[in-house]
Amino acid sequence: MTAVQKRIFINKLALIFSTLSALIALAFLFWILGVLVMKGLSALNWNIFIYEGAPPGYEDSGLKHALVGQLILVGMATGVGVPFGILAGTYLSEYGKNSKLANTIRDISDIMMSAPSIVIGAFVYAIVVLPMGHFSAWAGAIALGIIMIPIILRTTDDMLQLVPGTLREAAFALGAPKYKVILSVVYRGAKAGILTGVLLGVARVAGETAPLLFTSFNDNFFTTDLNQAMPSLTVTMFNYATSPYEDWQQLGWAAAFILSMFILGLNIAGRLILLTRKKGK
Amino acid sequence: MASIIDIKEECALQVRNFDFTYKGASAPSLKKITMPIAKNSITALIGPSGCGKTTLLRSFNRMHDLYPGNKYEGEIEFDGRNILDPKEDLIHLRTRIGMIFQKPTAFPMSIYDNVAYGMRLQGIKNKSELDGRVEKALKDAAIWKEVSDRLKHDANGLSGGQQQRLCIARAIAVEPEVLLFDEPTSALDPISTQGIEKLVIELKERVSIIIVTHNMQQAARVSDYTGFMYLGDLIELGYTEELFVTPKEKLTQEYITGKFG
Repeated sequence: MTAVQKRIFINKLALIFSTLSALIALAFLFWILGVLVMKGLSALNWNIFIYEGAPPGYEDSGLKHALVGQLILVGMATGVGVPFGILAGTYLSEYGKNSKLANTIRDISDIMMSAPSIVIGAFVYAIVVLPMGHFSAWAGAIALGIIMIPIILRTTDDMLQLVPGTLREAAFALGAPKYKVILSVVYRGAKAGILTGVLLGVARVAGETAPLLFTSFNDNFFTTDLNQAMPSLTVTMFNYATSPYEDWQQLGWAAAFILSMFILGLNIAGRLILLTRKKGK
Repeated sequence: MASIIDIKEECALQVRNFDFTYKGASAPSLKKITMPIAKNSITALIGPSGCGKTTLLRSFNRMHDLYPGNKYEGEIEFDGRNILDPKEDLIHLRTRIGMIFQKPTAFPMSIYDNVAYGMRLQGIKNKSELDGRVEKALKDAAIWKEVSDRLKHDANGLSGGQQQRLCIARAIAVEPEVLLFDEPTSALDPISTQGIEKLVIELKERVSIIIVTHNMQQAARVSDYTGFMYLGDLIELGYTEELFVTPKEKLTQEYITGKFG
């Protein structure tokens, strides 16, 4: 074999192996999605949205409690995470820039992003659940909000930095004070990017289970009392799927399906927003 | 030594013994600049890259203040005051001394909102007054005909030349006394460039103009006065025709004849 033939052979080998690996990775993804869609769709029916949890064996059992609880928890977490995340990201990009403090915050936020979520759950358990004496929706929302902050902070920081400096200068050159430049020019320029960050942040926390086990815990009944334990799709799914009862397991599949579609939808929406923004340019 | 002509007419700005040092730099980027800027005329600043022409231009509206640590010394007199005074109200100063940048800087909003931006900052909320002044500014910037039927459209949909004229409209809408142009045509095609040059000449009826350009022909076409800068010094300031035909300084002559630069 000549040197050139050898190189061509190695090239082909590398191509085959990398393509195969990609296909295998994708195969698992589609396998998971396929099983989820099959089992989930067959478990779906209107009762799920009408009835709350019931003991095994009851016909009128559903996931209303978990769906509403999930929306409340994620909604409240968004209320905590989005303002903090966006404001902190604004500080980094517009005020802190490359200062020592700003870069330290960036590093810490990157570490926080990869921190195991169960640790954050345990932390909130210690500072909120223990003093209150019981689980609560508040604690769950705070835990999810904390997980959300670094994601939104970094995307906001990155997206604001993509706004050209000359645009800021042009606004200053018209006599705009700094806060006006940020509010009326920089935020506008980064609107799509920030929104995407928020959607991805929401999608990330919507799938969290571990931090909720310590904080909002779970409940098999419908509740809107924020001072009490609150059911969520993820923890309900965990409980139902690991139970020995067939009908609960069915509900577990339905919960998994609904949750996955919700998160998938958020991710797709985020990507679409970025895509249309790029096309607009 | 530098050869600076004595301007007999009224001056919009007077630069005296002006030094500018960037943050962390050991030597000043502008050295003892003394330069009158005539009112209602066009002063061009030419010179090779890095000579300090843009640095000087950005001193007139204190743009360098956006990046902390830069140092001004000396005096730039405007309307009887030294605008380098640390107590100078920069927001007010920048409404009186406007700026057009190298790349068009249309804000991510509608054409109308772009032009109204500066006026709204000044607290003008009256719809009919805004409408009138937006229309007038767009007409003065020779872009009204092209955009009058799509004022609510996104300004980023305009071509580069149109965006640059929009930026000029936005700057003149607040009725400044001085306009600073920082290589306003270097990102544009020849036809758009012609349009902008024509516009700049028309504008001098109402404002005093300083234009930085790397294009000597452009300086010769549009300006009344030309200043030649080199390595942070103002080498020569003279009537444009004289500077290009009979320069007084050897360096100027070498530059305009293309011996370096």
